[in-house]
Amino acid sequence: MPVYVDISRCIGCRSCEVACKRVHGGSGHVNVHFAGDNASVPVFCHHCEEASCTMACFTQALHKVGERTAFDVEKCTGCGLCRLACPFGVVWTDKIAHKCDLCEGRETPACVLTCPANALSLDFELASRRARARAALVAAHGGRR
Amino acid sequence: MPQVLVPTVCPYCAAGCGFFIAVEKERALGIEYMPEHPASEGSLCSKGNAALEILYHPDRLRTPLKRHGDGWARITWEEALDLTARGLGGPLKKYGPNSIGFFASSKCTNEENYLIEKLARVLGSKNVDGCARLCHAPSVVGLNRTLGAAGMTNPIKDLANSKCIFVIGSNLAENHPILSRWIHRAKDSGAVVIVADPRMTHTAWMADVFLQLKPGTDVALLNGLIHVIIKEGLIDREYVAKWTRGYEELAESVRDYTPEKVAEITGILAGDIVRAARSYAISPASVILYSMGITQHTTGTDNVQAIANLALICGHLGREGTGVMPLRGQNNVQGACDMGALADFYPGYRKADDPETIEYFRAAWGVDSVPLGRGLTATEMIDKAGTGEIKAIYIVGEDPANSDPCSQNVRAALDNLEFLVVQDIFMTATAQLADVVLPAAAWAEKEGTYTSTERRVQWSAKAIEPPGSARCDLDIICEIAKRLGAQFNYPDAASVLAEINRVVPQYGGITRPRLDDFGLIWPCPNLNHPGTPILHTQGFKFSEGRATIVPVSYKPAAEDSSWDYPFILTTGRVAVHHNAGSMTRRSPSLLEREPNLFVEINPFDALRLKVADGDEVTVTTPRGETVAYARITERLKKGVAFMPFHFPGTNILTSEVRDPEAMIPEFKVSACKITRRD
Ligand code: SF4
Ligand code: SF4
Repeated sequence: MPVYVDISRCIGCRSCEVACKRVHGGSGHVNVHFAGDNASVPVFCHHCEEASCTMACFTQALHKVGERTAFDVEKCTGCGLCRLACPFGVVWTDKIAHKCDLCEGRETPACVLTCPANALSLDFELASRRARARAALVAAHGGRR
Repeated sequence: MPQVLVPTVCPYCAAGCGFFIAVEKERALGIEYMPEHPASEGSLCSKGNAALEILYHPDRLRTPLKRHGDGWARITWEEALDLTARGLGGPLKKYGPNSIGFFASSKCTNEENYLIEKLARVLGSKNVDGCARLCHAPSVVGLNRTLGAAGMTNPIKDLANSKCIFVIGSNLAENHPILSRWIHRAKDSGAVVIVADPRMTHTAWMADVFLQLKPGTDVALLNGLIHVIIKEGLIDREYVAKWTRGYEELAESVRDYTPEKVAEITGILAGDIVRAARSYAISPASVILYSMGITQHTTGTDNVQAIANLALICGHLGREGTGVMPLRGQNNVQGACDMGALADFYPGYRKADDPETIEYFRAAWGVDSVPLGRGLTATEMIDKAGTGEIKAIYIVGEDPANSDPCSQNVRAALDNLEFLVVQDIFMTATAQLADVVLPAAAWAEKEGTYTSTERRVQWSAKAIEPPGSARCDLDIICEIAKRLGAQFNYPDAASVLAEINRVVPQYGGITRPRLDDFGLIWPCPNLNHPGTPILHTQGFKFSEGRATIVPVSYKPAAEDSSWDYPFILTTGRVAVHHNAGSMTRRSPSLLEREPNLFVEINPFDALRLKVADGDEVTVTTPRGETVAYARITERLKKGVAFMPFHFPGTNILTSEVRDPEAMIPEFKVSACKITRRD
């Protein structure tokens, strides 16, 4: 159950970055990227179904627990193979690996709660439901006003 | 010891987001979100998330200080308070009460602001003002004149009910980020969003229609919209007939503002002006949001009046999803104004030049006399400090040496004072100039109420003790008052609030026990009143309930680009900083995201200046020069430059020319020159 992003809502406020860093004792796992002057998007672990980082990790410090790509600090050797394996560049190593743990121990991840624009959610369908609702309204009005 | 969660209100902007501070062993350890909060639904922006970082900052002031040669000597509270009382009392006796001035603080609670206001008045001084002068003074003048009330007309979450949201001169996505959740919700149910700004801000990303106007041409744009609406017969005739006066003059005055002419002045396409006008007028419920981009102009009051005119002719007031919403900057700037921290008002917006006001407060406060008439504004007090007419100033939680325009003059003026006392949590640029510095408690170290931009009065509890011997502002003010002979016996914030309940009618029913569930929205005149989220539902508080339409005409800004100064410099904010930055620049997780002063310029201009992204450049105006890093961006049109004012460099450059009525300086338009350094 990863965190999903509704890119059309992100306002680039970087609140998710600061919140993530805050709850993870100073090392954050979210990076907000800016696409020129026109859009922004927070980038973090997708918790892939077939996660290449878990395949690369030979101690199984990175492993799947249900939908989550979990991380066991005790087992990490800091080798950095996960960083090479991740196709999205959202795992990095500095002594040990760092990546989004979906705020283990919290009911809802901090970034989802804090996002002022409601751009982040745990609901895979939410962004598309919103888009469909908007489209339906426009159609009902006979086009954009 | 177990962890306790103490409810608090964010100390940064006026959105008034609530959160919990997790306290263990008397230390603030973390933040927990508050999903039930009516304005923010638990969300916090980056500043809110970093709020605790300033509490344990090593720079916090811990003991009272007095100037000692070129440095500072630590002194006891006794000595500091006596010195302060003598420093203020001396000129008071020698030159009269109007030789001393008071700066109230939009960062402090309502109770503290009320006491500063009361202290100034009972001592006989008319000069009490605050930084609201630098942000929404034109709203107070303009909206009081047109609509009869200066606050936001509708609450924040009501934005979700709107069908057309018109944002002009506000970058709310960065400065009041939580508003964007309500705007997105409105968009999901079909709302059109129009954004007018000289810069393509993050807010503009939300826009369906983006109007990129030349800085300082807002009146022309607004009159242009009114012109189109009248010409196309889109006004709300019934509303205009029933609730307004002055429509005919308005119609006459905007006759010449054709889209073509306005396009020429503002640089916006005529077609976009027509589109925006139609969207705003036709929609069943439209709202206008505005902020410093409207007010910080020599025509600030005119801009505000033009906005009110637009809302009035379309009847977009007094219902859900409509309204005129001035977004306030600081956590308690609304409350500070309500408590009378403005030179022209006593608490509750009673006019200072009205003899009835004087009678009322003489009786309410049980004193022989309080001064009649408007005092000096914050900006004027500084001028008069420079000329020597003001001898002593007591500044609570403000940093005019950084936040006022042409800040080098401000420093010289403050240096000229016989006595300056500054009460703050950090050694700000202003405190550096003081004779005595009093260490105050930060928001989490004291209790009291704050009034957010939606007029919501919220109680913020005390979570931890202040550092060292720092004390809460309320205590300090009472101690100084006692030494100056005023009867200030207030043991705590609740006792001051009880007096506010008696004295300020709008706050009559906003008592301490009623504030536990996210507060109340004023006006709330009595204990059974539920508060008033939407203003003007039954007309306005003028005769016959009619609002006043005040026609305004476009006047160019005081400065324009010239051969010597070819750029127009405008100022604004970024998401991770707040105001003059004395807090956010001390907050590591915010500062690391925006560590340096930058100036944004268009790629075309950059090419001409031979400046690359990241180059150091010098920005010069007739008032001074500053070094900044160039940021090359298509957000701006050719000939316009932008700098955030969170760093001390920016306000060395800005213009001091003021709006003649509201006395707000024109921060948003200065002619400047940019040169590469090397
Ligand atoms: S908190 Fe939300 S809006 Fe802000 S940068 Fe992150 S995803 Fe975007
Ligand atoms: S939006 Fe304003 S009140 Fe809310 S967290 Fe950010 S600074 Fe604080």
